[in-house]
Amino acid sequence: MQITRKSRQAATVSLVAMVDVLMIMLVFFMVTSTYLDLDMIPLAEAADDTAAGAAGAASAPATRGAAVIMVRIGADGAMVHRGQPLSSDGLADLVARQVADGLSPDLVLLPSAWADVQALVSALDAAAAAGALRTRVIRLEPQP
Amino acid sequence: MRLARRDRRAAPETIVALIDVVFFLLVFFLLVGRMDATAPFEVTPPVAVRGADMPGGGATVSVGAGGALALDGTAAVRADVLTRLAGRLAEDPALRVRINAHAGAALNGVLPLAQAIEDLGVPDVVLVVTPGGP
Repeated sequence: MQITRKSRQAATVSLVAMVDVLMIMLVFFMVTSTYLDLDMIPLAEAADDTAAGAAGAASAPATRGAAVIMVRIGADGAMVHRGQPLSSDGLADLVARQVADGLSPDLVLLPSAWADVQALVSALDAAAAAGALRTRVIRLEPQP
Repeated sequence: MRLARRDRRAAPETIVALIDVVFFLLVFFLLVGRMDATAPFEVTPPVAVRGADMPGGGATVSVGAGGALALDGTAAVRADVLTRLAGRLAEDPALRVRINAHAGAALNGVLPLAQAIEDLGVPDVVLVVTPGGP
């Protein structure tokens, strides 16, 4: 007599638990992550001013000297140069004139204590767009 | 004659496709998201056209529109922020500090703070901005 053994079916692995875990992880990352696209503007870097200045002078084309352009930022965020309102295009013209005269423009920003951060960032943007090789911000004393 | 109807079994639904979709979503959110501690107050960074890419890591000091401060998502006063940053700096001399200031925050609450952080000896202080059009 031949005894036939019943073929055993392979045990099925339930994937439901895996889906549960994936779903929980998905919801966790969706809720805890921030999706803002962020950039940065350096305020202080490891290289000190003198080293950066020397490196800049070495790499910059030959100029007849440095021309300091002082730009004030008012409490309303408007830029002022020598008492006159200054637009972003005006700043670009100013920098371009200094470069055409063979001078290396050195931009100094003096913001009002009550100007907001956006005003400073816009001025830094305008300075970068104008092609200012070196931009410095005069820092303010803490509010008493 | 009585016809016996065969017992119809519902076809088993496969959940493999569901797993695939959930897995893709998981990887997507892992890649595009940034795991930062959020400040306990509203912070909308200023818009800049010419910002540089911001690497991760470091400490984040948040400044609210009214001058409120937070370090890595925890509200703190200025002295506390500086003390804790000094401790972090002792552990990691190459610490990067990101100042995440609200676009409408007054500069007298941001620039002196940046100066104080720099005076601690922090080698890399950056201002967080949002890229925007001209």
